[in-house]
Amino acid sequence: MTSKAQAGTALWAKMPKANAELFALTYGSLVTELVRDYEDPIEVNAQLDRIGHSIGVRCVDEFLSKADVAGMGLSTQCNNLRDTAEVVAKVGFKMFLGVTAEVGGFSQDQRSFSVYLQDNPLSTFVELPSESAQGGDDLRRLKYSQILCGVIRGALEQVNLKVECSIVRDTLKGDEVNEIRVDLKEVLADGAGDDYKEE
Amino acid sequence: MSTPILFVIVGKNEPLFEAEIDTTGASAGNDLSTRQNYFVLHSSLDLVEKSSWTTNNMYLRVVDKVNHQQVSTFLTAGNVKFMLLHGGKGEEVVKNFFNEVYGYFVKLSMNPFYKYDTPIASKAFDARVRAAARAYLS
Repeated sequence: MTSKAQAGTALWAKMPKANAELFALTYGSLVTELVRDYEDPIEVNAQLDRIGHSIGVRCVDEFLSKADVAGMGLSTQCNNLRDTAEVVAKVGFKMFLGVTAEVGGFSQDQRSFSVYLQDNPLSTFVELPSESAQGGDDLRRLKYSQILCGVIRGALEQVNLKVECSIVRDTLKGDEVNEIRVDLKEVLADGAGDDYKEE
Repeated sequence: MSTPILFVIVGKNEPLFEAEIDTTGASAGNDLSTRQNYFVLHSSLDLVEKSSWTTNNMYLRVVDKVNHQQVSTFLTAGNVKFMLLHGGKGEEVVKNFFNEVYGYFVKLSMNPFYKYDTPIASKAFDARVRAAARAYLS
């Protein structure tokens, strides 16, 4: 477990960095632009998820290539979903966002888990408009960081795990922690996705 | 009797934010004096424009005096005016208050859901400003 955290830190040290404020503001303008274009927050959530999915399917390649460098034979290490969850949270989140995520809340059948983020770099500065502001009532249904769900879904899809992701707790809505619920739907047979076949 | 403190943020075309802070703890002053206070503040806007050319500082100090009431002003880099009507607080105190509010204002304008130069509806901002006012001005 600590070795994963160490690998995450090592990978993070190697990643090119972007200014956190620039990053947060860029994402903020992306979201507000989507809100303006689609108006319906549910549709915005879907679009963010789609964008995240596209990012995720690319991220996993970068992740695998660099993780090899960091001395992790990942293909042999993930034996069950618990391992996968640890890698996503401790290595993946650390590598790409520089934050440490915690894993927990495994279900009885070990097919779903939660990723807890104390610190969400996407939502720096963000304050959702209160319901009294015009259009604010709708925005309560907006999932601001939905893109993270898309990324996890996309990345795991590439390694043959079909998952469903959703944000169940959000610090923007007054919860004390960000919680992303990941639900394993099925383990795809090798070669199932002809479009995405890796080799 | 101490004068109530009135704080407004004025953008390019309209006031963006208003807070009446009562330091005495009693309920806000009566309707007439409130209106009069607003009148004093807004009528000193011209003086703000004038004095903004006389200095390089963002803090313009006291720009206007009416009876025992003074209007202090702070001009942000984006030409948004913070104006405070008070009954003669120390210049340094007011300056510290303005700097604190400036910090909150910058944070607010970084919020992607806040459109620059529009009225401020954020409850958190309101609460922060009031807390700062209590801390510095009472």
